[in-house]
Amino acid sequence: MLKQKTVKKIKEISTRLKIAKNKIAEENTENIKSSNAASLGKALKIGTELVAAVVVGSTIGFLLDSSFDTKPLLTICFFILGVVAGILNVIRSAKSMHKKIQ
Amino acid sequence: MATNPMHQFQVYKIGPEINLGEFNLSYTNASLYMTISAALILFLLFIGTKKKTLIPTKIQLVTELSYTFVAKMINDTAGKSAKAFFPFVFTLFMFVLFCNMVGMLPYAFTVTSHIIVTFILAATVFIGVTIVGFIKHGIKYLELFVPKGVPIALLPLIVIIEIISYLSRPVSLSVRLFANMMAGHTMLKVFGGFVISLGLLGGWLPLSFSVALTGLEILVAFLQAYVFAILTCIYLNDALNLHH
Repeated sequence: MLKQKTVKKIKEISTRLKIAKNKIAEENTENIKSSNAASLGKALKIGTELVAAVVVGSTIGFLLDSSFDTKPLLTICFFILGVVAGILNVIRSAKSMHKKIQ
Repeated sequence: MATNPMHQFQVYKIGPEINLGEFNLSYTNASLYMTISAALILFLLFIGTKKKTLIPTKIQLVTELSYTFVAKMINDTAGKSAKAFFPFVFTLFMFVLFCNMVGMLPYAFTVTSHIIVTFILAATVFIGVTIVGFIKHGIKYLELFVPKGVPIALLPLIVIIEIISYLSRPVSLSVRLFANMMAGHTMLKVFGGFVISLGLLGGWLPLSFSVALTGLEILVAFLQAYVFAILTCIYLNDALNLHH
């Protein structure tokens, strides 16, 4: 009688374990799926990040040039600074992506 | 010209012209589609939360899904301290998503394909995040522009670069959404024009392209709303937990 009870209990535990394991596996695959969508979004993000910094840098340079009457010196300087800032942006977002993967 | 692919982006006024001083406040087709999107969101949320059953109906499921989606996104990217900004991010996400999706309907106007609309949204995020950062950290928020471990000789250059990088946020945020929406809709229109000009004989190829592009555009519409919201969360995270 006692033996039957324990066997029943063990069976119950094993089915519960199976269900739990399945759940974990399901969650894992779901995580991979959602991270795929997120990385597609991030890939779209990087391109504009580079361009935007260049545009902002050149605009600042142009505005300063117009107010100080030093055309085209500051525009060129700030264009280069904008390129640097854009590359910095891209490296930063790539780094944060790398961190998330690990 | 109906075949002009850029014709769909024209803004024209509906009803009487309203002028407030120097500003033209007339009701345009852009305002109409913004109103439609906002009304659809309100309608969905109202219907979805009206009858709360344990086993959700389909509309309730959509509402709850959108809630948990945004809540999880904020929790994952900006941490628990950003929970207070849930209403803002949720509103932003739903508005951009619905504007994009309503624009996918035939004959509809896509509000987010105008850079002024996306730029105002991005500027709201940018100014709001900056204010939040200054409230939370005071003058220390300016440390964001001074990375640690930089030699003093390089500091002026680095600070200028950091400021440009910071100022480029709203530009990249708005240009991304605007460019994606405008390019997609122009492409759809161009392929639609090919169907007409090639006629019954050769029109099938561009038609199939058009169908595939519509699917892609729906994906892009969702993805851009998602990217807009998640970048808002990332910027909030930068402002709330000051570190690189």
